[in-house]
Amino acid sequence: MFAGPDPLGSAPPLAHDTVVLEAAIAAEQRLIALYKSVLAGSRTQRGGDGTVLSSLLAQHQRHLAELKSRLVIPPGVSAPASGSPTSGPSASGPSASGPSASGPSPGAGGASPITQLRVAERASAATLVRQLATVEPALAQLFASIAASDATHVTALASVGG
Amino acid sequence: MSPAQAPSATSALQAALAAEDAAIYGYGVAGAHMAGTGHAVTEQYWTEHRQARDTLTAMITALHATPVAPSAFYDLPFAVGNTATARALAAHLEDGVTAAYLGVVAAGDQRLRVFGALAAQSAAVRAAYWRGSTEAFPGLPALSLSHRPVRPFANVTFGWM
Repeated sequence: MFAGPDPLGSAPPLAHDTVVLEAAIAAEQRLIALYKSVLAGSRTQRGGDGTVLSSLLAQHQRHLAELKSRLVIPPGVSAPASGSPTSGPSASGPSASGPSASGPSPGAGGASPITQLRVAERASAATLVRQLATVEPALAQLFASIAASDATHVTALASVGG
Repeated sequence: MSPAQAPSATSALQAALAAEDAAIYGYGVAGAHMAGTGHAVTEQYWTEHRQARDTLTAMITALHATPVAPSAFYDLPFAVGNTATARALAAHLEDGVTAAYLGVVAAGDQRLRVFGALAAQSAAVRAAYWRGSTEAFPGLPALSLSHRPVRPFANVTFGWM
């Protein structure tokens, strides 16, 4: 008797690493959206501040590209929609919870845009460190490196006028 | 790094200790060419590396292993003769420390992974200070950023019963 998945049945559940990776991708997309929103603002669009923000944004886009390269979306399974905070099966799961999953939205609250970015960067680093505890080693190293990059962004943003 | 290639927690901690020892030595060299704020920061970071060394030594000892001893002399990656090269050396040392702690992330249990990740963050922040710029993937060699997808589905057992 053959024991295994029913080839005519529904797809097996997504692996834990895939769920966590989708959450990380969604969080990175939100961070990129926040940067783009701030860059579109008139105060920081010009001069050196804009250059710093553009550089940090470019690094987040590299984070996103690398995270996406690790994700294989099987046929019949919907991928997380770009920039959608609630897309993907992980968005409502426990691994998606945390500050970066519900971080500040563009223009939210009374904080300055740069303060919002710093809060979001700090939250992103903290969330990635929590997530890396449960994934396979290579992905954990990538999460740790991205979290370290986010931590350096917090410091870099301190030099940007808010 | 695949799980089969992952170093043991002890060897990863030993590598981190060796990187901290190298940083302690190197900061001594760099500090001789720093002045003002740069010198003060050098001293602060040197102290942080000494504290990290003591922490790692205690962790390795707790694992019933003998901590690696520091070398009496380290080959510098390039000649250091002024403030610019001293800052470059400090950044280089921090890059090495960051990479070593990413090794701990790959090798350790959950608690050790978090320890390694937070230590890597501190080193990356120090490296960015000396370099004057940030990096997208601190501590990761470019070659490790190739396409390495994760398994999409949960483990499924195949077999004959």
